[in-house]
Amino acid sequence: MTSTPELAGRAGRPTATPAGPLHRPSELTPTIDVSGLVDADGGLLDRAIFTDHQIYQQELRRVFAPSWLFLAHTDQFRRPGDFFTTYMGEDPVIVTMDKSRAVRAYLNSCRHRGARVCRADAGTTRNFTCTYHGWAYDLEGRLVSVPNREGYPDRFDTADWGLVEVPRVENHRGLIFGTWNPRAPSLREALGGMAWYMDAMLDHDGAGTEVVGGVHKWVLEGNWKLSAEQFATDWYHVNMSHASALMLLAPAGKSPRDEIVHRAGRQYVDPNGHGAGFPVHPKNRFDALAVHQWFDYEAARARLGDARVEGPMTNGHATVFPNFSYLPVNGSVRVWHPKGPDRMEVWAWTLVDRSMPDEVKEAQRLYNLRTFGPSGVFEADDGENWSEVQAISRGFVTNSVPLNYQMGLGSEREDGRYPGKTSELYSDAAGRAFYRRWQSLMNTPAWYEVDR
Amino acid sequence: MSGTGIRVAALDDIPEGEGITVDRAVTGTEDDIALLRDDDGSVWALNDTCTHETASLAEGWVEKGHVECPLHASRFCLRSGKVEGLPATRDAVAHRVEVRDGEVYLFPNETSS
Repeated sequence: MTSTPELAGRAGRPTATPAGPLHRPSELTPTIDVSGLVDADGGLLDRAIFTDHQIYQQELRRVFAPSWLFLAHTDQFRRPGDFFTTYMGEDPVIVTMDKSRAVRAYLNSCRHRGARVCRADAGTTRNFTCTYHGWAYDLEGRLVSVPNREGYPDRFDTADWGLVEVPRVENHRGLIFGTWNPRAPSLREALGGMAWYMDAMLDHDGAGTEVVGGVHKWVLEGNWKLSAEQFATDWYHVNMSHASALMLLAPAGKSPRDEIVHRAGRQYVDPNGHGAGFPVHPKNRFDALAVHQWFDYEAARARLGDARVEGPMTNGHATVFPNFSYLPVNGSVRVWHPKGPDRMEVWAWTLVDRSMPDEVKEAQRLYNLRTFGPSGVFEADDGENWSEVQAISRGFVTNSVPLNYQMGLGSEREDGRYPGKTSELYSDAAGRAFYRRWQSLMNTPAWYEVDR
Repeated sequence: MSGTGIRVAALDDIPEGEGITVDRAVTGTEDDIALLRDDDGSVWALNDTCTHETASLAEGWVEKGHVECPLHASRFCLRSGKVEGLPATRDAVAHRVEVRDGEVYLFPNETSS
């Protein structure tokens, strides 16, 4: 079941499942050198990375498979058998709590003919039974029932045919991530300096977070990198794209105050491709009134320090490479599931502090829904931009014209207040780092490609 | 069997909509017995092993007079054991149960009234 590091990698397969004499010809997985498609130093990008099918296939193999990918929140698993189905890249997975209360993840595909063994979004179960022929697996992934078992040869051993398990599942302050890479660094190590910024949202008071019930899911035309990149690096679009929403939220009869429009802040640039940008101001606050009035900013200053309270605790945007993003102001956390080069599915949760009274949680839920729900006044603007960019990018000439990522070139520095390298609030620095990381993974053989 | 039955569980041991297994060593039956509690609070008993494949009906889903096998979703009548949904094709054996003063008594191999 669990892929052993020794076996995973043989015959170029990412799992240790028995393959007999099967071996996949290398022509099926051509590798493209992407050196010439990303100029991270000069801030130029070739648009083919958003549209090409071979590049997309290579992303699934070399960017998604080896990386830590967001799966779910620990709050979604309270008793054995609770499960949630999601995707890692385009691979369907079941996340569940086993009988020993450990959260585990399995490939949601029967070992017999490959159908999904769980078709529900979430729930509670005792087994995962394939609806095609009835092979059934328990919460530990073991194959426990094979109809017409006597029809199989003597060498058929059910122990060899359990669900394929995601070998590494770890959580950081309630956020569960998994990776297929048995040799990946720990999740904490992979988050690196980004954890300091994430904790500004996840560790307000030591009681932790929980998710509002239900996950919003919607489909957009657009490559997954367009949204992941924006959440890493782009406050620049706010005043232009969201002008109408900002007008709407301003006091009646007035435009937004100058200090809202012309904001100063920092943008964290992580060497692993993560990024977070946030305005900095001593009076930064949560937007939802009920949340603002309930929140103890002084206690948060003592716990998190002034720099975080005045920056990434209440405000801004962030992406954990490759496709997990969040917004501290309203507790929105989301995954950009890739669905081909030109399509994504957005799956969004609302995170609230466990310590919030019910009416404050409800206020945050409604504020999130109004602003960044599937039809939120800000979210709709963003989706329109990504789909616009994608829709025209199939044009031959259009596709060949490089894009500009030069804002803040050379501005990355240690500022003595925000840890790691930071740039200005308005900058493409984290975007350049995002694509530098993407380029590096795309050009590096993954663990299963390396002979040991 | 005795006129008073075998005391096999306290009613509170069985949550509504769920079941528990009683070992055949206690009941003297050919199979373990599934005590199944319907969502109206009533308690019923069937042979525990599904008649289709090896699975415990006590682990199944109990509601509205039926139990659904946890493995392949075969469905049986709690009262009679009659099979009501494929892939099982053979009825389960039902046994009479009585609840007195919060205790559950089993009458092995007697049919439900």
